[in-house]
Amino acid sequence: MRFQDAARDARAIVYAGIQADPLVARAGALLAESTTAERLLARAAMNGERTDGETWRRIFPTLFGEDVDEKLRNHAELVLAASLEVAERGEAARSSYRGAIVEELTARLLARRAGADAPVKRERRVLFDGVRAEIHPYDVTVESAERPEVYDCKWGARGINADVLNQLDDARSHAADEEMQMRVAIVVFDARRSCEIRLDRSTAEHGGTGLIAMESLNELGERGR
Amino acid sequence: MVPREGAGRYARRVNDRLGATRRAVAAHRDLGELAETIEDEWQYINDLVDAYALGLESLAEAGPRKLSQAQADAVDEAIAEIGLITDPHKAIDWLSTFPHVIGLALGGSVDGAGPSSASGSDGPEPDDDSPFRLLLGRGR
Repeated sequence: MRFQDAARDARAIVYAGIQADPLVARAGALLAESTTAERLLARAAMNGERTDGETWRRIFPTLFGEDVDEKLRNHAELVLAASLEVAERGEAARSSYRGAIVEELTARLLARRAGADAPVKRERRVLFDGVRAEIHPYDVTVESAERPEVYDCKWGARGINADVLNQLDDARSHAADEEMQMRVAIVVFDARRSCEIRLDRSTAEHGGTGLIAMESLNELGERGR
Repeated sequence: MVPREGAGRYARRVNDRLGATRRAVAAHRDLGELAETIEDEWQYINDLVDAYALGLESLAEAGPRKLSQAQADAVDEAIAEIGLITDPHKAIDWLSTFPHVIGLALGGSVDGAGPSSASGSDGPEPDDDSPFRLLLGRGR
């Protein structure tokens, strides 16, 4: 089994431009240091109809109320500002930016526990002996020789579908065929409950696939996972 | 945007937890009707609406009957926000976001009732800094 860079087709080249936008890095860094409430704010504001900050401050009094600690309120302001910048890119661009931000956030959280022997990489394919390579790369990988990990990242639970689940489960089972224990998981920037509702109806095999939803994103950076 | 003066008058009239949760449930149901126009997602949409209706209704019992002005304004602004949505795809996204926004504003969890409740799953505990944990008194 080995990892390989994904082919750079036209779509990948366009998307790479979005991934490289400083706004993506800034939002990813802020969200890595955010509370779940701030992440909920980001999900709402990035996908909102209104882009004036005052509206969102009123919707989230637990983040912006007068009784909120100034340091926490200031951080929430940074999250709000980045989220509204994403929203202001327009409806067409939003979805690409949001996806890139979830990937960036995932990579940053994983990097907390990754080392030189387990680098975190992006847009990688996994090749197995005697198995035709998957077309779609994995969004984020942790390339440990002992226990590799592959993650697919989604903005919302609706992105969980049979293709995604089958690809992840295939990777896990092919790795097992080579006597490798590979962690496969889907990272969803959405409420756990909506993900579970989605998965409950799925007939695709996902018993060996992990789910990291908005409420438990920090577990990505915890050792022993 | 919720008109400031009007919101104040309205909030004084129905500035109670039960009224706020009823308004939120109704707004969520309307959002579900918009989302339903994406026929391929009909089942998922109805599962979300049903599950979160129970969660939203449970907020009626999740704290003091009287809401603060900030809480009442938050609920009405969130309802106003989803009332502006015309794209059914965006409506699907908000079917899971809106209940948690309301839960945060009203100081309760919308995960504790109905099927697929996270509390009864094998999933991990919420992050230590999760507002849901904070609201349950288990965090900092």
